[in-house]
Amino acid sequence: MRKYDAVVIGAGNGGLTAAIRLLQGGARVLLVEKHNIPGGFATSFRRGRFEFEASLHELNDFGTADNAGDVRVLFDELGVTDKIEWLQIPEAYRVISQAEKLDATMPFGVKAFIDKMESYVPGSRKSVTEFFELAEEIRLGQAYTASVNGNADPKVMVRDYGNFVRCGSYSVNEVLKALKMPKKAVDILTAYWCYLGAHCDDLSFVHYASMVNRYILRGASMPKSRSHEISLALTERILELGGDVLFNTEAVKILTDPKDGGVRAVVLDDGTEIETRHVVANCSPHVVFGRMMDKVPESEVRASNSRKFAGRGFTMFLGLNKSADELGIENHNYFLYDTMDSVAQYDRMRTIKDNSVQATVCLNRALPDCSPEGTCMMYFTTLYMSDDWAKVTPENYYKTKNYVADKMISRFEHDTGAKIRDSIEEISVATPMTYARYCGHPQGVIYGYESQYWDGLMPRLQMMAEDHRVRGLRFGSAYAMRLSGYSSAYFAGDISGRQTVGDIKREG
Amino acid sequence: MAFVFKKQIFGFMDLLRFKKMVPKRRKIMAEAPATPLPATYKVNETAKILHPGYQSATLIEVRLETADMKTYVFETEKPFYFRAGQYATLGCNAGGSEVSRPYAFSSSPREALAKKAAFTVKKAGFFSEWLFDNAKPGDKFVIGDPSGDFCYEPIKDAKQIVAIAGGSGITPFYSMAQALADGTDDYSLTLFYGAKTAADLAFRSRLDALAAQMPGKFKVVYVTEKEEEGCEHGFVNLALVKKYVDGDFTVMMCGPSAMYAFQDKELVPLGLPLKRVKKEANCVGVRDAAPAAYDLTVHIGFDTFKVKADAGETLLVAMERAGLKVPSKCRAGGCGFCHSRLVAGKFSIAGADKRRLADGKFGYIHPCCTYPDSDMEIVVPKA
Repeated sequence: MRKYDAVVIGAGNGGLTAAIRLLQGGARVLLVEKHNIPGGFATSFRRGRFEFEASLHELNDFGTADNAGDVRVLFDELGVTDKIEWLQIPEAYRVISQAEKLDATMPFGVKAFIDKMESYVPGSRKSVTEFFELAEEIRLGQAYTASVNGNADPKVMVRDYGNFVRCGSYSVNEVLKALKMPKKAVDILTAYWCYLGAHCDDLSFVHYASMVNRYILRGASMPKSRSHEISLALTERILELGGDVLFNTEAVKILTDPKDGGVRAVVLDDGTEIETRHVVANCSPHVVFGRMMDKVPESEVRASNSRKFAGRGFTMFLGLNKSADELGIENHNYFLYDTMDSVAQYDRMRTIKDNSVQATVCLNRALPDCSPEGTCMMYFTTLYMSDDWAKVTPENYYKTKNYVADKMISRFEHDTGAKIRDSIEEISVATPMTYARYCGHPQGVIYGYESQYWDGLMPRLQMMAEDHRVRGLRFGSAYAMRLSGYSSAYFAGDISGRQTVGDIKREG
Repeated sequence: MAFVFKKQIFGFMDLLRFKKMVPKRRKIMAEAPATPLPATYKVNETAKILHPGYQSATLIEVRLETADMKTYVFETEKPFYFRAGQYATLGCNAGGSEVSRPYAFSSSPREALAKKAAFTVKKAGFFSEWLFDNAKPGDKFVIGDPSGDFCYEPIKDAKQIVAIAGGSGITPFYSMAQALADGTDDYSLTLFYGAKTAADLAFRSRLDALAAQMPGKFKVVYVTEKEEEGCEHGFVNLALVKKYVDGDFTVMMCGPSAMYAFQDKELVPLGLPLKRVKKEANCVGVRDAAPAAYDLTVHIGFDTFKVKADAGETLLVAMERAGLKVPSKCRAGGCGFCHSRLVAGKFSIAGADKRRLADGKFGYIHPCCTYPDSDMEIVVPKA
């Protein structure tokens, strides 16, 4: 029987990162991926003369060499930064809610952001400045917590990061209310909420502020050749470090040791048994405990049952036969909402019929040469907050897909005034079924477990040690301690990979 | 001094609240039900019908359509669904080699939900000849995932489709006509079906019946080389298209490469944008190259194989010839299903490079459209 120190299941962002961390820690590693290419959602695909980005809107917290974000620092440590060609995103975002007569385009840079906000919402300067002060203290508090491996000294926390601790248990809306931020400024500032997939009554302020601060402070980046470039760079690094990688290979079972219930082996789809005492599963605990393990501790079943699936994904990709200039597409990243009340908006995102929210990207506004001259590429994403797609039958599938795609195009044209419909040369649509099939996530969820109030970033980080209940089994991906998003998934893989190195060393 | 955040009257109450977060989450998790977690989910089950992956299929009927075309009807292991116009690979062990080829479905999507699927294949190569001479009801095959974008796309296509079929290129359009008839799709289709003689036209009586069943929605124009009853003669050309169709339309063509080259020239006066013309890709064949035999080292999973590769044939063919089970789907370089890593060696790509940008940078190739120019070593995912 083949034997490895660790098997990483799934070559998504977290799995790739975990594999490198394990190899850097001296472990013998096998990475298995059921798809034929690495990356999970971090990939690209060709249609005609276009190569579409499958999922990345912009990589947060990367920054530049002289204003490095945490992801760049991580990529430096992994040894992959220079394998990838990076470009900077020009501006942060444009948020439009026609119903509420809101249309604001926000820049990167904290000062520029505050100034622009003051121009849109006179009198917002004080509260928005305080928001960024709070956010910066949170960032520093998190860096301190990470530096002591999560065992933060409560005295140090209260003394040096008191604001962080005092705001740490509240939702976005609760804190912004306490800051007495004018409503319109709240609306503009919270536009990113759909990237985290929970509404602002539920979403932890710490989580949101931390993300927005990193965006605005460091700007955002894009790899020149789509996220496929990142995924191949990480794979190359794994091979350089001597790791084994198998594509088209699904791990179907994790066998446990009857003595301690911990990991004993992994069974692959062709029946091959791989002996190992350590697994980093870059997939949902629901999948691992629902069908990959025969003996599951009751505590894991209860914990999994307590959690709520986050948004199910839907993305439309368009290749247009005119340039962004010709079409009047001015911005890189648009958020188009029905209402700026995120609670009401979240509610409307439950059904196919009512959901018409979109986060839309015109990639040429970040990478002008990403498609042939005289063309441009766009992708439109939304989330469904219930399993409405479960009601769609195969016979109705393509009609439903086209219904949503059509609605997205009309919405974009209506809200921005740009006319794109007659210029569509290529179209491709990914639904919850596509995501369910591609990465195997339950119900086509792309955001892991929802960042609900009680299950947000802070308690997950604080409970990292006790959430680890099966010896030798750790998780990466959006279902893990850092929640959803590219940077979060890289960090989850980083943490789980390094923790597993520790586990291996302790075993001797 | 920087401002002090406070939500409640006394800051310590905010601190207490923070402290309670962990006990609260611990309690919620411990008190959740112990109901076993589901093994699967509805959306994932529907996805399995839309994307069944490889499945076994039993040949249940063989019909002779013309002197050199047969329809093979299969009962599949699972119900599945596809878009009319799509293809799937059909494979089996043919005389000792693991072989599979992509063929367009000639049956309707609706029948696939009842586990029935058909391919109509012209005798024109190693596998199709083997099928023609050997396949009989009861034989077992493997059918791959429905694939491709050679379909009516309501968001971008005109409401009117002009279909140009050359020879066995009729199959996707026959499926599309059936999907129109049963209400699966809704647009109007004018089919120009070219063949050498009227005897070479497959499905003629059924196409006529479909046209009679949906006047105004489906029209079929047969085009043969010489004058024959009920057929136009000569080539499908612009004058002929204009005789039957006006207004805005999308052209879909399926046939040999020579037909595409001819139609490209014919259509020039219309000034159609790229989005108005779709061509079904043809499999990459042999190339003209000085004869040479190279050593090809192939890593699949934990195994390594050494096989011979002919300079004129693709790496995929070399591997299949040697009996290796390797992934293949479109066999035209575009779908990326055979995505493999190059370790060493020189190569040429047939036609346009359809790989992703980063693939070139990090050394990945599509063996189905890659010819060896030296000894080579590659890492191929298992099939």
